[in-house]
Amino acid sequence: MAERVEVEAPLDFAYQGVIRLIAGGVAEQASFGFEAMDDLQLAIERLLAETGGDGRVSISFEISDGGIRTRIGPLREQRLAEALQEPDGDTGTLSLRRILSTVVDSFGVEEAGDGQIVVRMEKLGTPRS
Amino acid sequence: MTAEGRAARAARQAEDRELLRRYHERGDTSAREKLIARHLPLVRSLARRYAGRGEPLEDIEQVGAIGLIKAIDRFDIEREVSLATYATPNVVGEIKRHFRDKGWAIRVPRSLQELNAKMSGAIDDLTARQGRSPSVTEIAESLGTTNEEVLEALEVGSAYSALSLDAGPGGDEDGSEPMETIGNVDAEFDRSEDRATLGPALAHLPEREREILRMRFEEGLPQTQIAERVGLSQMHVSRLIRRSLAAMREELE
Repeated sequence: MAERVEVEAPLDFAYQGVIRLIAGGVAEQASFGFEAMDDLQLAIERLLAETGGDGRVSISFEISDGGIRTRIGPLREQRLAEALQEPDGDTGTLSLRRILSTVVDSFGVEEAGDGQIVVRMEKLGTPRS
Repeated sequence: MTAEGRAARAARQAEDRELLRRYHERGDTSAREKLIARHLPLVRSLARRYAGRGEPLEDIEQVGAIGLIKAIDRFDIEREVSLATYATPNVVGEIKRHFRDKGWAIRVPRSLQELNAKMSGAIDDLTARQGRSPSVTEIAESLGTTNEEVLEALEVGSAYSALSLDAGPGGDEDGSEPMETIGNVDAEFDRSEDRATLGPALAHLPEREREILRMRFEEGLPQTQIAERVGLSQMHVSRLIRRSLAAMREELE
C-alpha cells in the first residue's frame, strides 16, 4: 500500500523552500539517504524552473518499496515538453533532460488535457545496508 | 597616486583592453580566463564587504565571480571605461541579488544556521563510516536534534534560484500501481545514448563549478565521489551544483 502526499503551492520563489522541505520530509519517510533526497529536490527544483509564468502547481508524492513517484502538473505542455526533449548543446546549456536523467531513475510525461502535461519522475532510495 | 602608480594602472588597463579585444573579436577564451584571474582580487575585495551576514565568504565570492564573468562577456570594447570600473557594479549587483533571493534564509534562527554548519561534517563523517549516504534520521541522531530541524537547517544553505512556475490546479491518476515503472525509461525519453557534451553556457561558470557539473552530469559520479575529488564537503558540492544550474538558467533569460 503506497502512502501518498499531495501539495498545491503558488508558483512563486517564496514557496521554493516549502516545496523542498516537503520533498525532503517525504524522502525521509521513504528512508532515502541524503544524496537521494538531494537528487529528488534538485529534480523538482529544475523542472519547476523551466515552466515559467505565474499560477499554482500541484505536486504528489507516492511512497512505496523504497522509492518515490513524484507527479507534477498540469503544466503547459509546449515549453516543458521542448525542455525535456531538448538535446544538449542546442541552447548552450545543460538540458533539463540531461539533469533529470542523472538525478532520477526514470521520468516521463502524461497527457493532462487542454494542451497540458503532468511530468512523472521515479526515484529509488539508497539501500540502507 | 604617484606617477608610477598611475603608469602601472594605465598599463594594466591597456593589458585588459587587449585581452578583451582578443576575447570579443577573436573568440580567444584563454584571454577571457586571464581576465577572470586578473580581476578575482577585485571580486574578493567586494565580497568581503558582505561577509558576516549569514553567508560563507567563499560563497559570496563565487556569486561575485559570476558578476565578473557577466561583465567581461558584456563589455563593449568601444567604450572608454576600464573593466574594473565596469565590473564593480556588476559584481556588487550579483551579490546583492544573491542576498535578496536568500532573504528568507538569512532571517532563520541562528541555531538553525549553526546546525547547518555542523551538518556538513556530520554528513561526511557518516558517509565515510557507513559507506553510504546517511538518512536525515541518522544525521539528526548524530547531532542530537530532530529530523525536522535537520530538514529546516538544510534549507538554510540551499535556496538560491528563483522558481518560476506555471501550472493550473489539479493532479490526476493514471491508474497504474505506484513505482511500477521504476527503473524503466519511457520510450520517448530513452536517454542512454544521450551523452552529448555539455553546452557552452558552462563556460560562464568558474572552472571548479564547470568541473563539478561535468563530473556529475557527464561522468555520472555521485556527490560523495565528487566531494572527494575536489576536496569539498558533500553538502558544499550539492550547493554548488544547485547554484551553478540556477546561474546557467538565469544566463539564458
